[in-house]
Amino acid sequence: MNLQGALKQYFGYDTFRSGQEEIIGNILKGKDVVAILPTGMGKSLCYQLPGYLFQKPVLIVSPLLSLMQDQVDQLKQRGEKRVVALNSFLTMEQKKYALHFLQEYRFIFVSPEMLLQPQVKARIQEMELSLIVADEAHCISQWGFDFRPDYLRIGEVLPESNRPPILALSATATDSVLRDIKSYLNMDEPFQYMHTVNRENIHLVKKAFMNREEKIEWIIEHVKNTAGPGIIYTQSRAKAEAISLQLIQQNVAAAAYHAGKETQDRQFIQQQFLAGKLEWIVATNAFGMGIHKENVRQVIHETMPATLSNYMQEIGRAGRDGNSAVAFLLYCDGDEQFAKFIATEDLPKEVHIDRFMQTVAAGEHPESLYTKGELSEVVFRVLSYWLARESAEKVKSRMLDLQLKKFEEVELVLNLISHQECMRRQVVRYFGQELLEQQENCCTNCGIELSNLVQKRDASKTTVKMTNWQQRLDKLLARNL
Amino acid sequence: MLIQQILLKILYTFQQERTVSAAFHLLKGKRSGQTIHDVGLYNLYPFFGLLPKLTRQKFDEQIDLLFAKNAILIEENGYYSITEYGKQLAAQSLPISFDSWHYRGNEHLFFSRVSLIVQSLSHQLHQKNTFIPIERNEQIQQWVRQFLLRHQYQKQLLQQALHSEISVSLSMLTIEEKIKDLIIYRLSGYNEPGFTWQQLAFGYEMHEMDVQLLYISGLHAWLNELSHKSAQYPLLHDIMQNIRVEVLLTSSANATAKLYKVGRTIEEISQIRRLKINTIEDHIVEMAMNETNFSIEPFITIEEQQQVLAAVEDYGTKRLKTLKEILPHLSYFQLRLTLAKGAITT
Repeated sequence: MNLQGALKQYFGYDTFRSGQEEIIGNILKGKDVVAILPTGMGKSLCYQLPGYLFQKPVLIVSPLLSLMQDQVDQLKQRGEKRVVALNSFLTMEQKKYALHFLQEYRFIFVSPEMLLQPQVKARIQEMELSLIVADEAHCISQWGFDFRPDYLRIGEVLPESNRPPILALSATATDSVLRDIKSYLNMDEPFQYMHTVNRENIHLVKKAFMNREEKIEWIIEHVKNTAGPGIIYTQSRAKAEAISLQLIQQNVAAAAYHAGKETQDRQFIQQQFLAGKLEWIVATNAFGMGIHKENVRQVIHETMPATLSNYMQEIGRAGRDGNSAVAFLLYCDGDEQFAKFIATEDLPKEVHIDRFMQTVAAGEHPESLYTKGELSEVVFRVLSYWLARESAEKVKSRMLDLQLKKFEEVELVLNLISHQECMRRQVVRYFGQELLEQQENCCTNCGIELSNLVQKRDASKTTVKMTNWQQRLDKLLARNL
Repeated sequence: MLIQQILLKILYTFQQERTVSAAFHLLKGKRSGQTIHDVGLYNLYPFFGLLPKLTRQKFDEQIDLLFAKNAILIEENGYYSITEYGKQLAAQSLPISFDSWHYRGNEHLFFSRVSLIVQSLSHQLHQKNTFIPIERNEQIQQWVRQFLLRHQYQKQLLQQALHSEISVSLSMLTIEEKIKDLIIYRLSGYNEPGFTWQQLAFGYEMHEMDVQLLYISGLHAWLNELSHKSAQYPLLHDIMQNIRVEVLLTSSANATAKLYKVGRTIEEISQIRRLKINTIEDHIVEMAMNETNFSIEPFITIEEQQQVLAAVEDYGTKRLKTLKEILPHLSYFQLRLTLAKGAITT
């Protein structure tokens, strides 16, 4: 099979992006593959193209619902009809229909929770698949930033012998995460592709402030005077709202973007941003996904992310077109405390473990703790998984380890601020890679000259103007305007 | 803020005879005998189910604000009283009107259909066959697909026809022009994304929630225009299929009504349906409220009805407990029936 020809035929591209051809080649040979590719480097093509070459369905296990929906939308937008997403959004009837015709789909997306449901599990196990994809595979790892015990258990569903190849995909993975991925998925001497994590065209800047108010003032001034498009990451919905409102009042076309927004509004924001009608998006860092825009020129972190993985993933939304972009990391005293709080907020604490054990001892179902709101969904999930396998004492020490590990992760981000070593070198080392050469205008620690990197803002261009309903109706539905 | 004004009006209309929760259930459109009974009793049809997605938290925030503004006082048992200042505010007329009783949140389904249809037609106009649908719900997508096929969108004449229907019908409405703007700015098309609530609120210098209320009131007015003159707007009328609520009874009350109309007694219905007598009585009250020709005489004589109405008048209350004290020989069921009927005919 000529891969180039297939690429042209099914996707209309002339050439592969780096890594894609080797990854797909190995999959077609029936080998397991671990591929670490940064977001925006064509991860999904690695299973989509095989989907057209094989005659059997591709199963994609995807732990993040918003990303799953995104992939499905993109496939559908390309005109692919044989695609289905099995997740908790389906009604009973839709689910029954989908399961009945499962063999007919080319791409089957499924969430780990759904995959473990007995009827889904049984249906998948009796089916012939051509490829199993573990998307966002770092979530499999217990060290992953989004610990999902259900994802750990996908090994249970995979057949032991005679199974199709597995492709584990992730944008970020450290060495320990890679080990976990391979072992939980029972991978068989996988071919491993690691893209360099360094993004040369993104220039790294850090800025320290006396207090939070100063940070916000700087952001407003900076955004007023320099050119977007850009994304500002912040920790809370309220802050995203407040900053966006301040920007709007300064005549900057900005919008807040977080999980509290109606779906419809989120789509409006994405489309406006893509169409160049919005200059800035102010997002919570739990929610920057699904923004596909090539020419993002700036990313500002109002406060530090919890891990270097998150940092890389978030700044990685800038400069997808290959042109220069700048990432600003802002800091003031106490930010690391806040980041630590956020990072460990969802972790089960000792008192949770005790309550869980008490409930079990009393002969009640621990799920009641979750339905009554005593435990969060995540805590309940994590504890159900581990307490079924280990003693309470062991789970306590495991959770303590996890907490320390998360604190260490925050410290590593803090090092970007407090250490004088090249910021890029620090980040790249975190992913177990080496920086081969020193580049011009690298980062604040190496010395950086921003004047050529950040353009002046042309305020006349971007403001969204409202007219009246008749004129807008004409724009929407009338011909020849 | 509009929402507070609406809330205050509801609380005022309840004459302090209900808890604040009753207002919450009313706005949510709770399908319970008590809430539906309140709708009829206090003539609160415009607000029933106005905000189906309202959270208790948001509701409580607004109650707290009314309290902070010294418009209401909250008592410990969940009851409240309205201050003189509150009464003044409540007496001001609302700048907009609603018809929630007939739509109950379905106006949003209507708009979702319109949005997806307009988005599709707009893309077709620019020869774009694929796009990310603004509406994710597959049932709505399916419905819109059928609609487009049914009206032969391939001929590319639908744009013009729909444009003219929307334009004419909106022009007929006597609502403020800015409300029409809000509605049309929530639509999307090729290279014309819709506007977020935050953007609209900023553009019109209003609170987000007020913008949403204006929008809902606009949709109600629009839908009423479309349903009154369905022949003039064939496309839009087709889009509003199953949007207007014509069967006004709850489904359980409907089942009771069928049995009642073939001559079964309350006791028999209770046995057949295996429901408590109380529940069946709730249903009968619901029927009395909704059906103009429903006679309550089998349950309470005309003289007794007059006694109840006179007591309401004399003592200035519709509170059942008080009425029961005044007229101890009547049952709660008889009192409620009379009030329900009274509300319809007055």
